[in-house]
Amino acid sequence: MENQNFYYDNKTVKFFAYATLFWGVIGMVVGLLLALQFIWPQLTFGIPYTTFGRIRPIHTNAVIFAFVGNGMFTGIYYSLQRLCKARMFSDILSKIHFWGWQLIIVAAALTFAFGFTTGKEYAELEWPIDILVAVIWIVFGWNMIGTIIKRRTRHIYVAIWFYLATFVTVAVLHVANSIEIPVTFFKSYIVYAGVQDALVQWWYGHNAVAFFLTTPFLGLMYYYLPKAANRPIYSYRLSIVHFWALIFLYIWAGPHHLIYSALPNWAQSLGVVFSVMLIAPSWGGMVNGLLTLRGAWDKVREDPVLKFMVVAVTAYGMSTFEGPMMSTKTVNAISHFTDWTVGHAHIGALGWNGFMTFAVLYWLIPRIFRTNLYSKKMANTHFWIGTLGIIFYAVPLYWGAITQFLMWKEFTAEGFLKYPNFLETVTQLRPMYAARAIGGGLYIVGVVMGVYNLILTIRQGDFLAEEAASAPALEPVSGKRAAGEGAHRWLERRPVQFTIFALLAILIGGIIEIVPLYLIKTNIPTIASVKPYTPLELQGRDIYVREGCYTCHSQEVRPFRSETERYGQYSKAGEYVYDHPFQWGSKRNGPDLSREGVVNGKQYKPNSWHYNHMLNPQKLNAQSIMPVYKWLIADDLDMSTTAKKIRVMQMLGVPYPAGFDKTANDVLLQQASLISADLKTQGIDCAPNKEIIAVIAYLQRLGVDIHSAGLSAASASENPVK
Amino acid sequence: MEINDKNPVEKDELTGDKLLSGHDYDNIRELDNKLPKWWVWLFIITIVYAVVYLLVFDVFRIAPHQEAEYANEMAAVASLAPAPQAMVFDTLMVPLTDQPALDAGKAIFDKNCVVCHKTQGQGLVGPNLTDNYSIHGCRFIDAVNVIATGVPEKGMISWKTQLTKEQIIQVASYTMTLRGTNPPDPKAPQGDPCK
Ligand code: HEC
Repeated sequence: MENQNFYYDNKTVKFFAYATLFWGVIGMVVGLLLALQFIWPQLTFGIPYTTFGRIRPIHTNAVIFAFVGNGMFTGIYYSLQRLCKARMFSDILSKIHFWGWQLIIVAAALTFAFGFTTGKEYAELEWPIDILVAVIWIVFGWNMIGTIIKRRTRHIYVAIWFYLATFVTVAVLHVANSIEIPVTFFKSYIVYAGVQDALVQWWYGHNAVAFFLTTPFLGLMYYYLPKAANRPIYSYRLSIVHFWALIFLYIWAGPHHLIYSALPNWAQSLGVVFSVMLIAPSWGGMVNGLLTLRGAWDKVREDPVLKFMVVAVTAYGMSTFEGPMMSTKTVNAISHFTDWTVGHAHIGALGWNGFMTFAVLYWLIPRIFRTNLYSKKMANTHFWIGTLGIIFYAVPLYWGAITQFLMWKEFTAEGFLKYPNFLETVTQLRPMYAARAIGGGLYIVGVVMGVYNLILTIRQGDFLAEEAASAPALEPVSGKRAAGEGAHRWLERRPVQFTIFALLAILIGGIIEIVPLYLIKTNIPTIASVKPYTPLELQGRDIYVREGCYTCHSQEVRPFRSETERYGQYSKAGEYVYDHPFQWGSKRNGPDLSREGVVNGKQYKPNSWHYNHMLNPQKLNAQSIMPVYKWLIADDLDMSTTAKKIRVMQMLGVPYPAGFDKTANDVLLQQASLISADLKTQGIDCAPNKEIIAVIAYLQRLGVDIHSAGLSAASASENPVK
Repeated sequence: MEINDKNPVEKDELTGDKLLSGHDYDNIRELDNKLPKWWVWLFIITIVYAVVYLLVFDVFRIAPHQEAEYANEMAAVASLAPAPQAMVFDTLMVPLTDQPALDAGKAIFDKNCVVCHKTQGQGLVGPNLTDNYSIHGCRFIDAVNVIATGVPEKGMISWKTQLTKEQIIQVASYTMTLRGTNPPDPKAPQGDPCK
């Protein structure tokens, strides 16, 4: 066949690379600010936009979707063209993809700062942006699959398998976890409630880690590692086995975020066992990467790109061992809700994703700019500082986590909690938080060095926007399997079938876990005393969501003596049936709040306490790290949304009486006046229409229903009240 | 090119491992190595673990689920757990005055009470403890009772599930020493004057 000449598009690659660096620095600096707020809570500056609960989603989303996202697109756009021996399918789609993605990031940062959030971790975007994400993601997939279809190579390489799995799975996850009913342009309610929402959310959350942070990066590893080392891949068979095992098993493991929660036991068990079964498939990737370096270890000593890759792959191996361990009940009972989880996440984010991204950039930017890296020495320094940064980040958090759970669980000989005041357990950790901030700071110093080094590389280089290439066109062959052709080899030349198989592999687990929770009623035993929120409480809850209180507070008491002694009854599935969205949280930097309103409970506080506390937590507890929320006291509650909110809730099956939306605001004001009057008796002047009143109403409702039922812990779970 | 009799097997120079012919992607080659044995065993062991786990927990239910685990945990400490109702105090009790007891009382106060009564007892959400007024009575036993059983509707929680009898007496004794200390920024008096 005659050779065809064509050009690789390097311009899109360059754009994505610049965006990676830009957002990387921003996302990490916001992370540093968050770390510093644990040392100096004043650093929230007393204004809403920079408060912990609002900028934490900015940090997580910026790092995951902006830094790692753009990094993965950089790597994919470069490698895909070369692996397919074809230019990207459409320059226009490439442009839409690039600019659309940046638009999403800017919109995300702004909306989070303004408090527009769905309150679901790593899926906080509100519905208009969710739609935009879906559209742009499809554009990406269309562009990628289009390229694969017009390829000039017969088979698709393992890197592309991972890219395809990434595309289909993220599409499914994102759509399923974002089915929301809009209330206004910036506010919606997720259709799932409580336990179901928790399950869907963590099915998404866990698989965002799997299919946004893992599979695309394994794909990148499979291209850039052998390229940089100039060595063949260790084992093609291992690629096949670990690829299919990984994507099939991963999707089941979501419930490991909900161990010892109100999620039904059978679903928890699936989360445990599938996580454990993931060790080998995950390590398959690490093994295939590290063994590819056999015979090239002398190069690793020389080449910063390979150094970054080796640490990245090792960090991947570590966190994919640690993850399954944390999924077992024994470890989860102590590690969950502590900063262990945060340390674990950062081994992955800083080590695996961060280092792999920089390895790719250090390798690719000199190539498209036709020059050498400006300074190898600086890149080596970046490597060492970054590695130190990871260690200084993670070790104090692990240490802190151990301190934390020991303190949470310690009893005196008389049978009392040794540290009944939660704040003591936070104060104890502050030196560890400081050390963590230093670690993060070091890592950022490394990143800034890397950015500087790459800018100088770019400046000395000569950019090649259109890179000429040639390859023979693909001869048409029969789609049927040829004699002697292995089944998988056949599949590798049928990308559409390949994608469909991958889709099936990931759908099975999701369907088996999630569907029964909807169909089988006994999964969520109802509790008769649990009633919908009053309009005022509902508004208060939405403020709770808006302010991101869930980034520090959990609402899920686990069935341990150390928790029921501290908070009250452990949580039951039936309590959460009106919670759109659920707010269980994933870590406790402050105490669990799900029993906050129980008058005879361990945590009860009068209205005036909440008022003073929100106004200035440090005035009540000098050591508190909770941010000041004084705008809640100054701002009027937006009551224009009440009626619509009630109607949407009714649509979602919350049993408000028909026509309730019309009187909802009267009911709201009635309840608000009572709270306002009570504050008055304590010498506090606060009009009923202030936001704080709604927040207080919500906090005072927490846990009230289940405690008023007078059910003992055991009877509520075993004899569902119908 | 697929491997067949006519295509001699290619080998990787450095390791001598067999290269797969026809597997060349932008100059990346692949070796025909088998799966590492230890890796296969690791995978098998985890699968066996998974099957056994599900059988034990969810099919035959030999091991306890979390609700049963909790019941066991609580049963194990049942003898230990304080019996709050049984906590009775002598109405004629007098405050402790020895220094170690007052120091212990202050430590308890600083840890648990300052969040409502402020560091020097001047009051904020809770009443001022330093003035000569009281809402629930001026006798020592009144203070002890308020601490032990609380005034939940006003926000004062019951401490008898979190403090021992001895600790309650210590902290109550300490609060008695606060009377008349005139700290800065006091809360206005509440309740009735004490004689
Ligand atoms: C940066 C983490 C952080 C954020 C964000 C945060 N809190 Fe807190 N919160 C704490 C800490 C730490 C404590 C314990 C010390 C104290 O009482 O201030 C606490 C205590 C509380 C308490 C008292 C709980 C008890 O029983 O002792 C309530 C109520 C509370 N927070 C509500 C909220 C609400 C509502 C929001 C959102 C508007 C919020 N918190 C946001 C850290 C946080």
